[in-house]
Amino acid sequence: MGLLEALRVALEALRANPLRSVLTTLGVVIGVAAVITLVSVGQAARSRVVGEFASLGPDLLWVLPGKAEEGQQFATQEGRFTLTFSDAQAIQREARAVAAVAPWLQTSIEVTGGGRREVTTVIGTTPSYLQVRALRLQLGRFLSEADEERRKRVVVLGPTLARRLFRAPELAVGRRVVINGRAFEVVGVVHPQGQVLGVDLDDRAYVPFSTAQLLFSVNYASFLFVKAQDTASVLRAQREVERVLRREHGEEDFTVLTQSQFLGALDAILRVLTVALSSIAAVSLVVGGIGIMNIMLVSVTERTREIGIRKAVGAKRWDILAQFLVEAVVISLVGGVLGMGLGLVASWAIAARLLDQAPTAAAALPVVVLAFSFSVLVGVAFGVYPAWRAARLDPIEALRYE
Amino acid sequence: MSSVVELRDVTKVYRLGSVEVRALRGVRLQIESGEFVAVMGPSGSGKSTLLNIVGCLDRPTDGAYLLEGQDTRYLSDDALSEVRNRKVGFVFQTFNLLPRLTALQNVELPLLYAGVPRAERRRRAAELLARVGLADRLYHRPRELSGGQQQRVAVARALANHPAIVLADEPTGNLDSRSGEEVLALFQELNQAGVTIALVTHDREVAEHARRIVTLRDGRVVRDEPVRSPRDAREVLRQMPGEPEGP
Repeated sequence: MGLLEALRVALEALRANPLRSVLTTLGVVIGVAAVITLVSVGQAARSRVVGEFASLGPDLLWVLPGKAEEGQQFATQEGRFTLTFSDAQAIQREARAVAAVAPWLQTSIEVTGGGRREVTTVIGTTPSYLQVRALRLQLGRFLSEADEERRKRVVVLGPTLARRLFRAPELAVGRRVVINGRAFEVVGVVHPQGQVLGVDLDDRAYVPFSTAQLLFSVNYASFLFVKAQDTASVLRAQREVERVLRREHGEEDFTVLTQSQFLGALDAILRVLTVALSSIAAVSLVVGGIGIMNIMLVSVTERTREIGIRKAVGAKRWDILAQFLVEAVVISLVGGVLGMGLGLVASWAIAARLLDQAPTAAAALPVVVLAFSFSVLVGVAFGVYPAWRAARLDPIEALRYE
Repeated sequence: MSSVVELRDVTKVYRLGSVEVRALRGVRLQIESGEFVAVMGPSGSGKSTLLNIVGCLDRPTDGAYLLEGQDTRYLSDDALSEVRNRKVGFVFQTFNLLPRLTALQNVELPLLYAGVPRAERRRRAAELLARVGLADRLYHRPRELSGGQQQRVAVARALANHPAIVLADEPTGNLDSRSGEEVLALFQELNQAGVTIALVTHDREVAEHARRIVTLRDGRVVRDEPVRSPRDAREVLRQMPGEPEGP
């Protein structure tokens, strides 16, 4: 019996039990859709985040508190408070390959202004942050050295926050906002930066670093941004920063990462995350496969007599095996195709909402191929045992079965 | 020319748990081409076991079985499938048609496993159904047919690959007497056209439609006699009251 005949027989059998076939297929649909959605959203998120950080420029370095252990690029949580403002000053002063240093202190807090309350991210940093991040101003000015020295209560708003509090960025400059019970004067609004992973980079308030330390009663920096003189001097800048900090701290309780190291680490984390999520989704595909196996075993038992009849009139083992195997593969294949469609629509919708960027067709292709072959594999893997049981039934026993 | 069926001291021992059942205890039997043999015996005499072995559904425990001169002892399961497909046609007491398939598709089944192309299959199956008088029932499913009609579909299926022998296991057992007689008439007609038939029954009247009766008891052939004047099923039907059904 050819495969075409086996297919015809299998379709006939599936039509005989429509509800059962649909429910079994649904198990595979959900599994495949979940895998596709998570993999493609994960991929899109990864490329988006990595792209976002890459756009900061290849001459950027991160100084993170705590020493990364051997084989790791990010430090553990210990030593969170080892970086200070004077570290930034020392680097600025002594590392010649470094163009600018900006310390960074970040807190989520409620901000009042224009008669409204908003929870936003307040960032303490220095004027050099403008240079480090190549940030541009939309209105007014950025933080100044004088603000920093005198711990002035001035604030530069992101455009989203400015709009939320004062309806329009133009209306924000010169007004007052209250942060943690202290009044701050709005001196400027920066240019829009967009979103990363649903986080609005424009929903922010920048205050002088010294003011932020006072405001939140801390004496450390979350981390330092360092900009090298140029792309060629990044590694030299890294060595210099490490040398300066080692001397300042007397021990190596910090980690300096270049842009590419940082991206590599970030990419690795996001990849692990994607794989982990997809593995969870793959579990549901396996469950779908078990559903197929279950139904196929029931089907073989129910059709014992049919198998006996077929064998009596000349069906060989392969004919019976093919019949049931094709049936299982048809279920998983149909489930795979439907799940693929569902998964692509879902991932497109999620990515469009969360990343304002849809996964491209090119990115989806390997996922589609993967899910497709995986679903066929599931059909074969979980269909082969019931089919084999059917194929080796003894015709006399099978004919006697009631 | 060799016999269609030749059994040489065939024994069959079943093991049911710890109990050994000796279903056949040395059966010698030959069936020549064109014969119509009835195998009789009380239940438990081994007649169904015999039929299963002749039909290559089962293997002898000991002894040899030659079908058209071919020794079946060393054939693999798949080879036995092929033998059943090409050389044997089965007709069962319970018809054993596939309920979801039409009459046509049921008759096509042996042709399907013989690798006959689809168009050819349909043509031959339709021809066979016409031969058993069901030309107008091609697309009916078994449950839309009467018992007699279902058994005639089964006969058509048995004839599909021009088998060396048609084996019928109590073919009238589930039929009323008229339908049963009609099926027997069909067998007699086929036999006159040259088809070799072996029929198993416990019913003397049914057996007397054949031209030879082999009687089994306790797994042995105890009698093997020709029937001098077989019952003519057509004649019996004519004498039955009521409207005749079918052809």
